[in-house]
Amino acid sequence: MIRSEGLTRRFGAVTAVDGLDLVVERGEVFGFLGPNGAGKTTTVRMLAALIAPTAGGAHIGELQLGRDNRAIRRRVGVLTEAPGLYRRLSARDNLLLFARLHAVSDPSSRVERYLRLFDLWDRRDDLVGTLSKGMRQKLALARALVHDPDVLFLDEPTAGLDPEASRRVRELVESLRSKERTIFLCTHNLDEADRLCDRVELFKARIVALGKPAELKERMYGRRTVIHFGDRPQGLERALDLPFILDTEWADDALVVGLSDPERENPILVRRLVELGAEVRYVNELRVSLEDLYLDLMEEHDA
Amino acid sequence: MHNILVLLRKEWRESLRNKMVLFGALFLPAFMVGAALFMIVQGQGVDIPGAQAALFNTALMYFLVLPAVIPLAIAVYSIVGEKEQQSLEPLLATPVTDLELFLGKALASVIPALVITWASFGLFLGLSIPFAGGVPPHVLTIPWLAAIFGLTPLLSLTSVGITMIVSSRASDARAAYQFSSFAILPPIVPLIIYSTRKALVSVALVGVEGGVLIVAAVAVLAIAVRLFRREQILTRWK
Repeated sequence: MIRSEGLTRRFGAVTAVDGLDLVVERGEVFGFLGPNGAGKTTTVRMLAALIAPTAGGAHIGELQLGRDNRAIRRRVGVLTEAPGLYRRLSARDNLLLFARLHAVSDPSSRVERYLRLFDLWDRRDDLVGTLSKGMRQKLALARALVHDPDVLFLDEPTAGLDPEASRRVRELVESLRSKERTIFLCTHNLDEADRLCDRVELFKARIVALGKPAELKERMYGRRTVIHFGDRPQGLERALDLPFILDTEWADDALVVGLSDPERENPILVRRLVELGAEVRYVNELRVSLEDLYLDLMEEHDA
Repeated sequence: MHNILVLLRKEWRESLRNKMVLFGALFLPAFMVGAALFMIVQGQGVDIPGAQAALFNTALMYFLVLPAVIPLAIAVYSIVGEKEQQSLEPLLATPVTDLELFLGKALASVIPALVITWASFGLFLGLSIPFAGGVPPHVLTIPWLAAIFGLTPLLSLTSVGITMIVSSRASDARAAYQFSSFAILPPIVPLIIYSTRKALVSVALVGVEGGVLIVAAVAVLAIAVRLFRREQILTRWK
C-alpha cells in the first residue's frame, strides 16, 4: 500500500531522510520509531503529499507521489503530533469542516458517527477551547478518520489520553487493521508499538532495523530461558554439559540460558537440572521489551 | 469553488467568535462615518473653495481607509491564528489546493471589508440627509463613486496581500499587526496629496491612483501566492 524507493529529503546541508526504501502492506500496522529529530515527521509529510522529496519517490497504492498528490491526500488521513484544532469552533464544526473539504457525502451523519465513536457527542456544540487535552486528541483522531481513509498516518495517537481512552484507540487501530486499513504509526510509546505493530522500523534519517518486533528481539538477543530455583545451586552452570546451550548467566537467583530451539531443548535442560539436584521452581522465556531493543539498537547505530 | 466556500464559512465563523476582530471590523467604520459626516457638515459652512475641497476630499478618504484597515484584523488572525493553533498542517493534509486555501483566506478578509465599506458609505449617505440637510452635491459624483466602488477592492486586495506576506513571517499576532500596519500606506499617501490640493478629487486623480494600486495589488498578491504554498508553509513558516 505504501512503497518508497530512495526517498530523500534535504533541508540545506541537513539530510532529514536519506534514501528510505519502504514497503508497507495493505492492512498492516507499521511502527515507525525513532528519536526526536530522526526525520519521522518529514517522512510522513512526504508520504502524505505535503512536501516534496529532494530525491527518490513513493507510491500510495497505485498513486504516485508528485503526480497524484491531491488524490493521495484524499486517500490518507493524518493525525499530526499537535491536535491542531480550531479552538473557536465547536467539536462538530471542526469535523464538519474536514468532512466537507474531503467531499464526504452526508457529512453530518458521518461526523455524528465519529463523535459518538469517541464519546464526544454530548460535547458536540462546545468550543474546542473548552475541551480537555484528551478530548482534543480524540477529536483530532476523529478528524483524521472522518473521510474513511485507506492509509492512516498517526503521530503519537495516545499522547495525552487516559488509560481507558488509550485502550479504545488501540482497539480502534485493531479494528481498522481488520478492515484492511493501512496504519503508519509514529510513536515513542514502545509498549504500544510492541502490542499494535505487525512490523516496526527503527529509523534515524535512515533505516536502523526493520522487522517484526519478535524477530528483531530474537535477532538481537537470541532466545533465552530463565530458570528459577528454590536455592541457588553453586557451580550448577559448570555442571551443565548440554551441547545445545549457547551461554549462561545468573540474574539474581535465576539462571538465564541461551538456546537456539527452546521448544525442543527446554525439557532436556530441565530434566538435566533435576538430575543434578537442582530444585526447579518455574521456567519462563526471557521477555525483552521493545524499549530495550530500541535503546540497544540506537546505541549500536550511534556507535 | 466548493472548497473556497467551505473555507470562507470557517474563516467567518472563527472571526465572528473573536471579539478583537469583530470590534476592529465594526468600531472603525462607525467612527469613520461620523468623521466623514463631520467633515461634510464643516465643509458646507466654509466659503473658501480650496478649504471646502480639502474637507470634502478628506471625507472621501475616510472611506478609502476602511477597505485597507478592516482586512488587517481578519487576515492577521486568519494566518497567525492558524500558526498559534498549529492547525495549518491538518488543513494542508486535505485535498484543498494551495490556491483554494489562499483564495479562501484572502476573500474571507476582502469580502467583509468591501461589504462594510460600502454599507458605511450607504449609512453616511443616509445620515447626511438629517445631519447635512441632504446628500452633498460633491458626493454623488463620478470621481467619488469611482473611488468608492473602483479603488476599494484594489485597496483591500493590496492590504490583504501585505498582511499575508507579513503574517507568513511573523510568529505572533502582535508583531504581525505591527508590521501589517504598512498596509495602510496606500490610502494614506493619497490622503495627504488630496488634503493639500485646493480642488476636488477628479477622475484623472482617481485613475492615476487606480493604476498605481493595480500594479501594487498584482505585485503583493504575486508574492503572497508564492509564499502560500504547502512546501513553504510547512518548512519555512515559523
